Amino acid sequence: MSTYRALFASAALALPLALAASPADAQQTTLRIFVGGQQRPDVMRQILDVYQQRNPGTRVEIEIGGATSDQQQQYLNTVLTSRDAAIDVMLIDVIRPAQFAAAGWAEPLDAYLGAEKDAIMARYLPAYREANIVGGKVIALPYFADAQFLYYRTDLLEKYKLQPPKTWEELASTARTVMQGENNPNLRGFATAGAPIEGTVCTFLVPMWGAGGQFLGAQGKPDVNSAQARRALQLWTDLKAANVTPPNLAEVVTDRIRVDFQAGNLLYAMQWGYAWNRFQNDADSTVKGKTNVVPLPGFAGNQPATCIGGWQIAVSAYSRNKQAAVGLLRYLSSPEVSKMQAILASHLPVFAEVYQDADVLKVNPWFQFARNVVVTGRSRPVSPDYPEVSEIIRTNMNAFLAGTRTADQVIADMNSRLARVYR
Amino acid sequence: MATAKRYRLSKLERDERRLGYALLAPAALLLLAVVVYPIAELLANSFYSFRLTRPGYRFIGLENYAFALFEDDRFLHSVLNTVIFIVVTVPGALFVGLGLALLANQPFRVKWPVRLGLLLPWALPLVFAGLIFRWFFDFRQGFVNWLIELAGFDPPQWLSDPQLAFAAVCVAIVWKSSSFMALILLAGLQTIPKSLYEAAEVDGASRFQQFVEITLPMLKPAIVVALIFRTITAIQTFDIPYAMTNGGPGTATETMAMYIHKTTIDFLDLGYGSALATLMFLISIVATSVYLRHTKRDTGRG
Repeated sequence: MSTYRALFASAALALPLALAASPADAQQTTLRIFVGGQQRPDVMRQILDVYQQRNPGTRVEIEIGGATSDQQQQYLNTVLTSRDAAIDVMLIDVIRPAQFAAAGWAEPLDAYLGAEKDAIMARYLPAYREANIVGGKVIALPYFADAQFLYYRTDLLEKYKLQPPKTWEELASTARTVMQGENNPNLRGFATAGAPIEGTVCTFLVPMWGAGGQFLGAQGKPDVNSAQARRALQLWTDLKAANVTPPNLAEVVTDRIRVDFQAGNLLYAMQWGYAWNRFQNDADSTVKGKTNVVPLPGFAGNQPATCIGGWQIAVSAYSRNKQAAVGLLRYLSSPEVSKMQAILASHLPVFAEVYQDADVLKVNPWFQFARNVVVTGRSRPVSPDYPEVSEIIRTNMNAFLAGTRTADQVIADMNSRLARVYR
Repeated sequence: MATAKRYRLSKLERDERRLGYALLAPAALLLLAVVVYPIAELLANSFYSFRLTRPGYRFIGLENYAFALFEDDRFLHSVLNTVIFIVVTVPGALFVGLGLALLANQPFRVKWPVRLGLLLPWALPLVFAGLIFRWFFDFRQGFVNWLIELAGFDPPQWLSDPQLAFAAVCVAIVWKSSSFMALILLAGLQTIPKSLYEAAEVDGASRFQQFVEITLPMLKPAIVVALIFRTITAIQTFDIPYAMTNGGPGTATETMAMYIHKTTIDFLDLGYGSALATLMFLISIVATSVYLRHTKRDTGRG
């Protein structure tokens, strides 16, 4: 693949170079950055235009690919396993640095950051600092943060004089009250992802954490055969039996929750940060000004928890312009760009101070609540084999929510397959 | 010896033979590079522990194969799913395709609408077909459930019930592949001489008798060819279930090819994935040779 590309590229380059080789062309460095369709490439372009103005010798091209984290990763898997130098910088999901470190796909940044390394890393929110350091090496730098929130309809809760729930028990009871009162067959109390997709991993982890459970047992090996994991599974069984969740929960993908909430068909939703903007700005949104976020509930007597998300920037180990690529990466992971993203795309900042920035709060008043959620967020399991870990959890959850596997079967299958990955 | 002398080549003939080899060489080298080399590499990798997420490339003999055949329930389940897909959709596509071919073979004055109807599903990319059928069977906005609700029944959750999801995927595959069947069978139908039917008519045979006694036997070679092609592609079933259910609910509609794709592309376990791909290759060869032997015996007898 890369040899073919090199052949074509050299053939294509040779002709114009032979005709008119100007010294200015030789100075120009072209970098290529890979971005997914959901990470606002349009905003990225605006940010890069600023960078190009300040660095006239560098031109940055955007390559857009993949609508979901999984699809983006599949593309990168192909490019990077073939050691293709076509991509210099790439956006990677917060769950991936361990895999990139183990596979040697990301250029470790320690040597480039030098003595400043600790000072630079200390400025990021702790969860993101930790997510990007694998085995003591800086694998990537944070671009923007994300977390799962509990979105709720302020108008409906006010109508029934209810407070946003702090526990899953409260969520279930308030949802039933509102659903009975509204008597609208299209209205459901709560939705979360249940299809075999990445978001469904959090559908398992969040209530398990919220019951005080841990993913890793003794000796750092995964163990989901716990009372807390069973409690998490039981929660979904109960909510489904009470008709609080949609009956087709096992088909629900992330954006379907956004669509349903926007159409006024949901009271609560477990959803990522991107939905806020859509609720407020979309032409077809029926919930403008009737939405707010709180941290996801836990079970009574336990600390609630949420899944953190967000996107990191890494330099490809196969890039031929690593020095220039690191320069770009430093800019993209700066507070200045974090603020630009917050204003232009409502991307959650990775710096604590940007949440308090007056310009940012003017556009995103909800960031004052969002910060509290992001700082209590927890990372999904860190493993070089994360794709397989994720697949084990989501496939089992999907089967459980579809009613084709019992809690015992799900827990046994997860444990035996996870043990093989972590052995 | 006289015979040896007869076979000795003149200089001109030897040169010509050499030229022949020289001209064949590029094609042979290309095949070696794009067919033989990858298969050899695949076979070699299947004996190694080779995971891109972990350093190391370690020879482990038949361990990958042993795990796949004796321990990995998920692989065996995906083989079973693939077999059921074959058993349901290959005959399904044959029957529907035969019906379409007979219809298209009618002496319509304007032939293109029928031909276009035949070609369209065939020309559609597989993933497209999968997506279209996913929307068709969607729980809330799907066409199928709209019809069911119109008829006054409770709409089922097609894609989150294992049996219903399997059935829905089968419907999509039959729809997609029957047009290919029909095209091959239509070509076969058009080679049957009209005189046979005329003779049968004179003898007073009914339309059904004509179909059983003339059409089916004359069509048999085309049917076998269509079945072979269809079975081989059915063993590799990937796109439609991938787009419709992504193997769900759970792993209820996951095929061999999907599991291999997951193992290699998503999990980056190239050693184990190679072993699974080799097993699938063997299954393909066995299935094909069964068909080929069947046809050979047939032509020998006829």
